[in-house]
Amino acid sequence: MGALLVFIGWFIGLVFAANGIAGLVIALIIWGIMTLVAYFQGDNILLSVAGAKKISPSDHQQLYDVVEEMKIASGLEKMPDIYIIDDPSLNAFATGRDPNHAAVSITSGLLQKLNRDELQGVIGHEISHIKHRDVLLMSMCSVLLGTIVILSFYASRMMMFGAIFGGGGGGGRRGSSKNSGGGGGAAIIILVLAILLMILAPLFAQLIYFAISRKREYLADASSALYTRYPAGLASALEKLEQSTTPVKNATQATAPMYIVNPFRNKLNVNNLTSTHPPLEERIRILRSMAGGAAYANYDQAYRQVKNTNSGIISPQSAAAAGTVGLRAAVAGGPVEPPVDDKVSRTRDVNDMMYRMNDYKTIECECGAKLKVPPSMQGSMIKCPRCGRAHQA
Amino acid sequence: MWILVVVIVIVVLLLLFLWGSYNGLVNARNQVKNAWAQIDVQLKRRYDLIPNLVETVKGYKNFERDTLEAVTKARTAAQTASTSGDVGARSAAEGELSGALSRLMVVVEKYPDLKANQNFLALQEELTSTENKISFSRQAYNDEVLQYNNKVQQFPATIVAGMFNFKKEQEFLQATTADVERQAPKVSF
Amino acid sequence: MICPVCNKDMFVIEYKRVELDYCHICKGAWFDAGEMELLLETAGLKDGTQAVHDVLKLPEAHTAEKKRRCPICGKNMKKVIIGGEKGVMIDACFQHHGLWFDGGEVADLMKIVSEQAGCKKETESEIMCFLKDVFQG
Repeated sequence: MGALLVFIGWFIGLVFAANGIAGLVIALIIWGIMTLVAYFQGDNILLSVAGAKKISPSDHQQLYDVVEEMKIASGLEKMPDIYIIDDPSLNAFATGRDPNHAAVSITSGLLQKLNRDELQGVIGHEISHIKHRDVLLMSMCSVLLGTIVILSFYASRMMMFGAIFGGGGGGGRRGSSKNSGGGGGAAIIILVLAILLMILAPLFAQLIYFAISRKREYLADASSALYTRYPAGLASALEKLEQSTTPVKNATQATAPMYIVNPFRNKLNVNNLTSTHPPLEERIRILRSMAGGAAYANYDQAYRQVKNTNSGIISPQSAAAAGTVGLRAAVAGGPVEPPVDDKVSRTRDVNDMMYRMNDYKTIECECGAKLKVPPSMQGSMIKCPRCGRAHQA
Repeated sequence: MWILVVVIVIVVLLLLFLWGSYNGLVNARNQVKNAWAQIDVQLKRRYDLIPNLVETVKGYKNFERDTLEAVTKARTAAQTASTSGDVGARSAAEGELSGALSRLMVVVEKYPDLKANQNFLALQEELTSTENKISFSRQAYNDEVLQYNNKVQQFPATIVAGMFNFKKEQEFLQATTADVERQAPKVSF
Repeated sequence: MICPVCNKDMFVIEYKRVELDYCHICKGAWFDAGEMELLLETAGLKDGTQAVHDVLKLPEAHTAEKKRRCPICGKNMKKVIIGGEKGVMIDACFQHHGLWFDGGEVADLMKIVSEQAGCKKETESEIMCFLKDVFQG
């Protein structure tokens, strides 16, 4: 993708300034600035765009425990920060430029839906993104992609203008150098090539980007199975995600690879080449067909079996380094779907946590209803809609 | 004259080799110690949790005494073993404790009241998490031990190890009973 | 959550461990999809996740009433009539976020439920019965 950027810059320079180097320099400067911003502020920007809130262990003990377990299992040195996003859709993502400045975020909707084993699987997946520095890789890639898209977009617009107003000779200064027939012919060829490149470059860049992203997703799934020693947990979590169709509120194309599943959930778009994530159904099948162990080698074997291919997804070196790891069974109440009661309690717990964090006040009315009052209404009288009793909020 | 130079070069090379392998060994041994400290933290945490757990469960009438006593006894034994400094004895005792705890958790399933108790649920979550952390840090510890032991045994570092008395470390082998039960059936191809 | 009618903060009422968002100004109520799922599954109905989906399958009601926006995604909702021929018109979010009941609609709904004998084990009936339960006073 870097080569594409250099190429595009050079062509822009050639067309507008009769000087490939100038365009190249402009492209590199834009890319450099965006990279620096992404490197130092990327996680903050992403977290604030997503509306994430940092939580402490007392807010949600189980989530904190599970993250700590995965931190130990993956051998991370520093405990990542944990954020919650108040959003009913189901998703989770990792941020941070390196393992020492990392965070995992999860939507309140997902936290409600998952049991302990499933949560562990999802967190294991995110911790793998942190451990393998995927966040840095993918944000650098997306900045590169972004630069290419922006440059080609504006350059193609400007060239159109140039083509229309410059009488078809070419944009900008190019028009003034029309002194020989041969030069004009070469200019037209360059112009046509440039326009072609402007159209094709963003497409190619995206395809490369998507391919990298998908590969990292498989690796994160494999690592999650390795850390938790229980691939069925992640598989079952992904099944729950599959059922949900609610798109994430604040996702953009650039932030998509950070999520555990594609936040757009466009069911019509099943085209494998243009997706940041492998199809969920396939990820589930691979995890479900892991037999005999939770090591990378077992995942690789399951991958080949499901994809019916001879080329694995995990390099033999890392597969060998991870050795053999046995599977474990579910924790109590794991594999069988827990009774509705558990599901209700979990939802109430997570919602009540969100209310606490947003400074809501809870009033218990004698009629059996509970009223949860936002800060803006506190201090006024609230009538219980059920029995009509008035309460001082 | 040139013999002197050769001798000096050989001596310097030898010293460099000594220096390198010694540092490598120290490094690996420190990694093992670090990993051990990680397990130790979690094991101690488990000792602290058990009295609370026993206290909470005891309040429920007709709760099986034997199961509770087994847990208390196993905890005392494990704590005694922890002062001995012998990894083998310790891992056996801790394995016993894990077994007793998982039996207790099975018994608990029969008491729906207990499962509705907020205090108990919080303890249960903490215990589950501690068990997980023990098993994950044991894996990390054993990996470090394997690497260190390989270093100690392999030529030529083994000479240096012998000179400075680097001994093999013991793995925390005893898989907890819970792990044994959880082991998936072996598939043979 | 912000009331889609008054644009003011709503408060939450939890009853039988299920939550509704309630606007004390216009007396309207927002029934979140996740909460509906809990209600239906507690009642023993399978696949509570389909609740909003089922309601969305009903035909769009022809009406001059102003379109409401979903308090979660801010997109226009679909007007549908639930509770049979003489039912009430409610708003359902196309993105499956939940259902909105205007103040008056809740009252109408309670009348319909009282006329029917008991609650049936089906999505619409369960939802309406629960609302009646909450706002009976």
